[in-house]
Amino acid sequence: MTRSTTRRKAAFAGALLAAVTLAVTACSSGSTNLPGSGSSSTSSTDAVFSGAPVASADLIISGSTMEKIKKRGKLVVAEALDAPLLSQQDPTNPDSVTGFDADLAKLLAIYILGKPNVEIVPPASETREAMLQNGTVDVVFNTYTITEERAQQVDFAGPYFESGLAVAVKSDNKDITSSKDLDGKTVIVGANTPAVTEVPKIAPTATVTAFATDPAAVQALIQGRGDAYVQDYTLLASDAASEKQIKVVGQPFTKEPYGIGLKHGDSDFKSFVNDWLTKIQKGGQWGQAWKTTLGTVTDSAIPTPPKIGSVPGS
Amino acid sequence: MTAQLIPDRPAPARARRPKRTYAASFMYDTPGPRGRRNVLLGSLISCVAFAAIIGYGIWQLASHGQFAAERWAPFTDWAIWQYLLVGLLGTLEAAAIVAVLGGALGIVLALGRLSRLRPVRWLCGFYIEVARTIPVLLMIYLMLFGLPQLGINLPTLWKLVVPLTIANSAVFAEIVRAGVLSLPRGQREAALSLGMRPVQAMRHVVLPQALRNVAPSLVTQLVSLLKDTSLGYIVAFTELLYRGQVLASYLHLLIPTYVAVTVIYLVVNGSLSALASRLQRGSRRGSRRRPSTQPPLPPLPATPHQEESHA
Amino acid sequence: MNPLIDNLGPLVQALGTTLLMAVVAGIGSIVLGVLITIARVSPIPILRTAAFLYVQFFINVPLLALLLLAVFALPDAGLLLPLTPTAIIVLTVYEAAYVAEAVRSGVNTVPVGQVEAARALGFTLAKTLRLVVVPQALRAVVQPIGNVMIALAMNTALAAAVGVVELTAEVNKVNLVAAQPILIFSSAGLVYMAIALTIGLAAGWVERKVAIAR
Repeated sequence: MTRSTTRRKAAFAGALLAAVTLAVTACSSGSTNLPGSGSSSTSSTDAVFSGAPVASADLIISGSTMEKIKKRGKLVVAEALDAPLLSQQDPTNPDSVTGFDADLAKLLAIYILGKPNVEIVPPASETREAMLQNGTVDVVFNTYTITEERAQQVDFAGPYFESGLAVAVKSDNKDITSSKDLDGKTVIVGANTPAVTEVPKIAPTATVTAFATDPAAVQALIQGRGDAYVQDYTLLASDAASEKQIKVVGQPFTKEPYGIGLKHGDSDFKSFVNDWLTKIQKGGQWGQAWKTTLGTVTDSAIPTPPKIGSVPGS
Repeated sequence: MTAQLIPDRPAPARARRPKRTYAASFMYDTPGPRGRRNVLLGSLISCVAFAAIIGYGIWQLASHGQFAAERWAPFTDWAIWQYLLVGLLGTLEAAAIVAVLGGALGIVLALGRLSRLRPVRWLCGFYIEVARTIPVLLMIYLMLFGLPQLGINLPTLWKLVVPLTIANSAVFAEIVRAGVLSLPRGQREAALSLGMRPVQAMRHVVLPQALRNVAPSLVTQLVSLLKDTSLGYIVAFTELLYRGQVLASYLHLLIPTYVAVTVIYLVVNGSLSALASRLQRGSRRGSRRRPSTQPPLPPLPATPHQEESHA
Repeated sequence: MNPLIDNLGPLVQALGTTLLMAVVAGIGSIVLGVLITIARVSPIPILRTAAFLYVQFFINVPLLALLLLAVFALPDAGLLLPLTPTAIIVLTVYEAAYVAEAVRSGVNTVPVGQVEAARALGFTLAKTLRLVVVPQALRAVVQPIGNVMIALAMNTALAAAVGVVELTAEVNKVNLVAAQPILIFSSAGLVYMAIALTIGLAAGWVERKVAIAR
């Protein structure tokens, strides 16, 4: 094989790679709509956004974060892409991210900009504070539990939702009926979730195993690597709805207030966002957003939103 | 002619050697009847053992319902594959940039560490040792948390590429240095005695042979780098493994998703390795020089693979 | 320094798990890697092909995907083990492929004349490998194997994704409450650096001990 043959082969390989790249990106530029894909009905979520309040010009104080966002034309949000019902990207249509956190972020964008122009930056849970401090993102909508330690690094608007941890077990498990039966058992939790610290509090003798993602934890429960899985009750409800081998038992046994993460010390922005939160709670958009996302897996009525500023750290 | 006892790839079927020999077979005398019988026995036993293990595994998986149609149905959608393949493009893009920058920097560092000037040697050595031992994760964190406080705000791609380049250039440097050191000193001495300057000797004689010798290690490192781009999730860079994670939580299906991701990685990395070894084999055969590790011996009888060794 | 000192007990225990995984998987992968390279020169074609496919598979597949598949798919294939042993086995099997590649390039730097001389002396294949080829091959690739061991030590951090309580998992847990990522992760990074430095120094010492003048 001569060197020119080698060069020709390399050039051919490069051309092939370029062609494949063009093909994939060309196809992905248009969004495909497959029948029966994804249960998020766009019509009902549009109802959430249609009457959403928009901030009047005098609320956008000059020199503030709100003005910066408005000039930029989009709101940069740190939210997950792999949290079903909260902020889940639809792989068949990657531009569409649906869920409670995602909808609230869009509502905030409408409030500031008039349009739901949101740029999503999925954070690793340890980088959320840094992203706010650096200004990489404007807000964090990521089931961000308000704690006093965190309140020393970031500011919290809200709380905007109160969740709780619940227990899921295999469908044929009769031993565990509530969070009180966890002592001495092997309990699966999600890494970097509040369950990591809560489970040792209520069941000091339980062995805690942490898995990085929710699908992994569900699979571990089914395989018997643990007796119970403690996680946010809405996530568990969504898991139990799609996986018949597990069931949720008992009631939520903790209170997890979710807050909107903001840069530390930005009090103008904090009162602005709290203002907006009050408006959408009164206007019904908050309830609508809940109903079309978290409400789809439970039969209960729209819950009352928590009082803003009611949690230490908010 | 091949100097490798264990070639990168098994010999192609149309090789000119008789069926029962392979590159390293000159390590022992051609087996007689008893030897051939033992080889056949060994082949049969290994065959049966592998088939039994794989068969048992598949049977167990099937009995647990892992092959049920609805678990794999989403993967007949082109949209799902497209979602993953766009992630793959991100991976490839980052890996290509790191490979080029890291490779160039690595060669420079390796030469620096071999230089005659002590300060240069010391500096390059220090950089290599530090960059090799700091975990890449930590470097990414430091860039993510530290740089913006200095006022430097890089685009997402470069937040991933810069730490990876720093880490991988050190590894490349060590590989290249190992290659240069494994070359017999006579090569450099011969080049110098021909009147070449040290830089010329390095560039024309030592470095090409060294790189050729360590090409397998370099390709392995390249593949490793491709997989390291999965650390992009920390800086929110769109790449394949994170997209697999999003897909797994969307579909509520763990195993089929990660099997799909594994297959994609296997295909991409496998073809990369195959391409690299094909190019390398071509360039080696193209150069008519005798490779340095091969002393000029007359060919032994009954070792037909050495036919090509005549210069 | 506070959150780290408050949790010193669990952190040290988690560090112990990390070191255990690194050492056991390290030794296992070196042994397995050399065996695989030997399989590639064996006269049995099936073993040669199997060894080649093994190396190609594990080099080209990311470790995280392998860990997840091993922890969650293997039990359905009939093999349910506790998490830490599963992680150690996966790490061993994965890094063995890299060791095999490194040893292979080492074998290729052994001059063919060595093997021919061994054969002329009447050595069998096993003797040639044991006394002539493998020692010289290993001597040539001490640094690359050192690199693989360092990579192995760093890769133990991935076991945190599948529930093994090792240093990264414990550090994440501490940070969850304390919310001081720079301090906590830098310290964890320094510990990993110390481990990598130790391995690097050990590799350098071994290299000096087995070096010969060329």
